[in-house]
Amino acid sequence: MTGWRGAKFALVVHPELSVLSQYQSQLSNHGFTTVVARDVPTALLAITQHYFDIAIVASQLSEAGDGWPLAGVLHLVFPGSYIGVLVPGDDLLTLQSAINNGVQDVFEFSQSPQSVVKASVAAAKLAVSKRSEESLQ
Amino acid sequence: MFSFSSMMHKPSLLIVDDEPNVLLTLKLVLEEDGYQISTAGSFAEAESLMRTSGQFDAILTDLWMEREDVGLELARSASKLKPRPIVVIFTGYGSTTNARAALGVPVDYFALKPLDVDELKRVLNRLVMANLGDRGWRS
Repeated sequence: MTGWRGAKFALVVHPELSVLSQYQSQLSNHGFTTVVARDVPTALLAITQHYFDIAIVASQLSEAGDGWPLAGVLHLVFPGSYIGVLVPGDDLLTLQSAINNGVQDVFEFSQSPQSVVKASVAAAKLAVSKRSEESLQ
Repeated sequence: MFSFSSMMHKPSLLIVDDEPNVLLTLKLVLEEDGYQISTAGSFAEAESLMRTSGQFDAILTDLWMEREDVGLELARSASKLKPRPIVVIFTGYGSTTNARAALGVPVDYFALKPLDVDELKRVLNRLVMANLGDRGWRS
């Protein structure tokens, strides 16, 4: 097997509705059912209701840096899933936060949703294929 | 205080640093938490131990030893092991370049010196506990 089994779910957490809409549209083009949230409580509720194959989270939701602990929770709950974080810039402390919260990649806010989704889906698909191959060995 | 001492299987930990004092201190501190500890003073020694001594549950390594960023090479070697051990890198020479490389390896925790030993112990214990039960994305 080289991909996902069954329906694919994505979670996007970002404070701006227009951004959520763009991500939802892009992920839909890749066959994902996308759940969106504008804040941490809504995202946590979504985590209890779905399995997410991909999560894209802004590092800043209602205050600076509050997206990181959410990314950490996502990694703990879905250790096999892809988590990308949207950041203002990739300085050392940002990259350290990404590593320490189990995030697979960071994307600067200036990157288009199209490029972020393309990279995220490709990385997630690769990881799923790798795990499938390993389980067959 | 948390400890693996009472567990049947004590998690095995490889600590790698070219500074003997750091190596000894980390060994003493982490032995208190019940780890079965091996130490190496270089990347080469660590690689040799990984090949000959079997499986480690976690590897805690300095980033700069005989070469700049050589800890990343160790993390890459560790990432090919099955099951993959937890990898923690610590450094006084953190940069966006080596942190981005660590994100891609992947590395489970990236600590900047001076080390907060209590934080390091908490993180290591949490990661090892989680990895013993569930080997997910980073396996």
